[in-house]
Amino acid sequence: MSARIASIAAVLLALTASTTLAQTKDTLTIDLPGDAATLDPHLQWNTDSYTIYRNIFDNLLTRDASGEIVPQIAKSWKYLDDKTIEFQIREDVTFQDGSKLTAEDVAFSINRIIDPKLKSPQLSQFDQIEKAEATSPTTVKMTTKSPYPALLAQLVKLSIVPKAYVEKVGDQEFNLKPLGSGPYKMVNWQKGIQTELQAYDNYWRAKPPFENVVFRAVPDVSTRIADLKTGKADLIRDVPPDQTASVDGDSNSQVLSVPTERVGYMFINAEAGPTKDVRVRQAIAYAIDRDALIQSLLEGYGAPVNIVGAKPVFGYTDKVRGYPYDPEKAKELIKAAGAEGAKVEFLTSPAYNRAMVEAIQQMVNEVGLNVEISSSDQATFLKRRQGDPANAGGLALGAWSCACQDADGIIFPLFRSGSIWAKYKNETYDALVDKARTILDEDERLKLYEQAYEILREDVPGMGLYQAYALYGASKKLKWQPTANESMFVMDMGWQQ
Amino acid sequence: MLRYAVERLVQAIIAIFGVLTIVFVIMHLSGDPTLLLVPQDASAEMIAELRHQLGFDRPIWVQYLEYLGDLVHLDFGISVVQRVPAIDIVASRIPYTVMLATGAMVVAIGIGIPAGILMATKRGGWLERLLTAIVVTGQSVPTFLSGIVLIFVFGVTLRWLPTSGSGDFASLIMPSLALGAISMSTFARMTRISIIDELGKDYVRAGRARGLSLGSVVVRHVLRNASIPVITIAALEIGNLLAGAVIIETVFAWPGIGQLAIQSIQARDFLVVQVIVLLISFVYVLTSVLADFVYALVDPRIRLVR
Repeated sequence: MSARIASIAAVLLALTASTTLAQTKDTLTIDLPGDAATLDPHLQWNTDSYTIYRNIFDNLLTRDASGEIVPQIAKSWKYLDDKTIEFQIREDVTFQDGSKLTAEDVAFSINRIIDPKLKSPQLSQFDQIEKAEATSPTTVKMTTKSPYPALLAQLVKLSIVPKAYVEKVGDQEFNLKPLGSGPYKMVNWQKGIQTELQAYDNYWRAKPPFENVVFRAVPDVSTRIADLKTGKADLIRDVPPDQTASVDGDSNSQVLSVPTERVGYMFINAEAGPTKDVRVRQAIAYAIDRDALIQSLLEGYGAPVNIVGAKPVFGYTDKVRGYPYDPEKAKELIKAAGAEGAKVEFLTSPAYNRAMVEAIQQMVNEVGLNVEISSSDQATFLKRRQGDPANAGGLALGAWSCACQDADGIIFPLFRSGSIWAKYKNETYDALVDKARTILDEDERLKLYEQAYEILREDVPGMGLYQAYALYGASKKLKWQPTANESMFVMDMGWQQ
Repeated sequence: MLRYAVERLVQAIIAIFGVLTIVFVIMHLSGDPTLLLVPQDASAEMIAELRHQLGFDRPIWVQYLEYLGDLVHLDFGISVVQRVPAIDIVASRIPYTVMLATGAMVVAIGIGIPAGILMATKRGGWLERLLTAIVVTGQSVPTFLSGIVLIFVFGVTLRWLPTSGSGDFASLIMPSLALGAISMSTFARMTRISIIDELGKDYVRAGRARGLSLGSVVVRHVLRNASIPVITIAALEIGNLLAGAVIIETVFAWPGIGQLAIQSIQARDFLVVQVIVLLISFVYVLTSVLADFVYALVDPRIRLVR
């Protein structure tokens, strides 16, 4: 027996020794909640998919650490007129098969994603683009349907694919064997299990930091944390706030957090039910103690906001006053509206923090309403939330990010009448946000959004709760600064023994 | 015999067809994948456009007839989420499900049946009480908890086994234990009851009167007679193990059919769900037919007629 223990100890010792002796980190392993649905960057737009494929492809533009839009494949750009923009394309970029990336590939990528035949779910992000054409091997001219200020912010999400390769192998094969110009090439994709990438040595920016990267699909968060603690994974995504202590308490692990452009908000139905009365909506706004929610349920990983929008977003303003936590005032308003004991349905799904839903239910009940929670799966939730106002419930939580860092991507879809999310109509508001999406003057746009946010404050068709933080668990040796748009570029990561 | 086989086959086809239709209708009535596919800021027109492109705006009976038409040609369709043939997606998961089901079956039968025999023959002793405690625990601890406890103890604290994954044999041990525990309890209880039942019968007394020990009566005569209900349970359990490992597969990141099923249902990836439903109902029907044949082998008094 003791011999067996001794041999186990020897093996363990050997294992520890081999890891400490390693000079460089050969393979970086990242646990995500799911696998990529597609590796064709023009198809699925969900976090797991783009986290992986954006390491295989380069984008036309990107954002730097401070959130500014900066060149990537495009060297520079200029507006020829309000609807036409011309990009200069880099000349030193090659795809992973060695072929050169040209303006043709860029134009092809844009025209491919806006082609209805591709049936891309991402089309809505690019549908303002009319067409793109290569006017020289290094110049692309793009026309939009109308002046479109969010164009550059949307193009940050456009991956450049190789025209010749896609046309040769076809869309289906391209999805299974993607080829890009990014720092990593796909070597093995076990669908639903893991995706293995290998460094592309001729990458134009620099040599990628790790020779191999493996993205694993691990749906359960406790398992991801166990993987991190045992060294099976070096980086894991989506650590819930109440588990951060467990990660931080491990001597080899750390929590990496960053305030993001994502805003936690609550929808309040302004077109049906007791919340149709603006006094009831204002009462709900007074009834909610944001700081308590952030401190007790998010463990401080959140920052209170007065508007439906967070700091990294263009159009954010701190000039709009918030509703202070004032239950007495809320009770008066409910009484004035004659809504005491009125039933308000709170829609939710497993995608939302149940504890937060219940905490808000409690807070709102305390000021005299009767909140009932209706939980369903996400597809059913979306169908109701986006459907007929009478059936859309009175309240619902949301965590909104357009990954474009522009108010147009937030309060236009959420509150502009006619939009699927809006259960609210105010013509002055509509005119403001309509105008703000068709002019290019930044100061003018900022003023319009400030006015729009003022109106939302009075009408409360929804209220901002907090700026969400992205939470990652990582090995202490991983050097990485996560960004506000929640992307995970391995190229920006490093390793320190 | 042949008549019996044909009858069972017809029953099976009707059952599978019924299940497919019910699932098709429920899934389509509870929303389509379009809303889940588009980015949050998509406009109503864009969503309608994509829904049209994907064909989900057509009446449900048109979609249903088209689905059946393709099915007749063994065309299972292409997943709208992954843009890959649905049958390929499901097929790639089958080996993992079979591996896990086999592992769990080994645990369930290997522990469950001997435990059941001991509980029936050593009644009233400390051994029975211990085994009962184990069986009740196996039965009543929810798998999401037992899975996480196993990971914490053997993965994180002792570091004996990998915490997740599917790449090697070691990764199979913990999910098999966690999944097998429930079936193990069922086998143990079933075996115990059947044996106790048989022990009261005349042939046992006759055997004992001829001077055979209890042990040899059980091994030579009782086990064979007590096995009929156990085979029935085994057939059901195989079906359960192949279909019902959703939680275990999720906890251990084991890429089997169960995990795929729940993800496809959540994503409303209709065609993948339909292939899984087809596969699972087929497995259930097949195992129950097989069980009937095994009855006849074990007990010649059972005839395969109606």
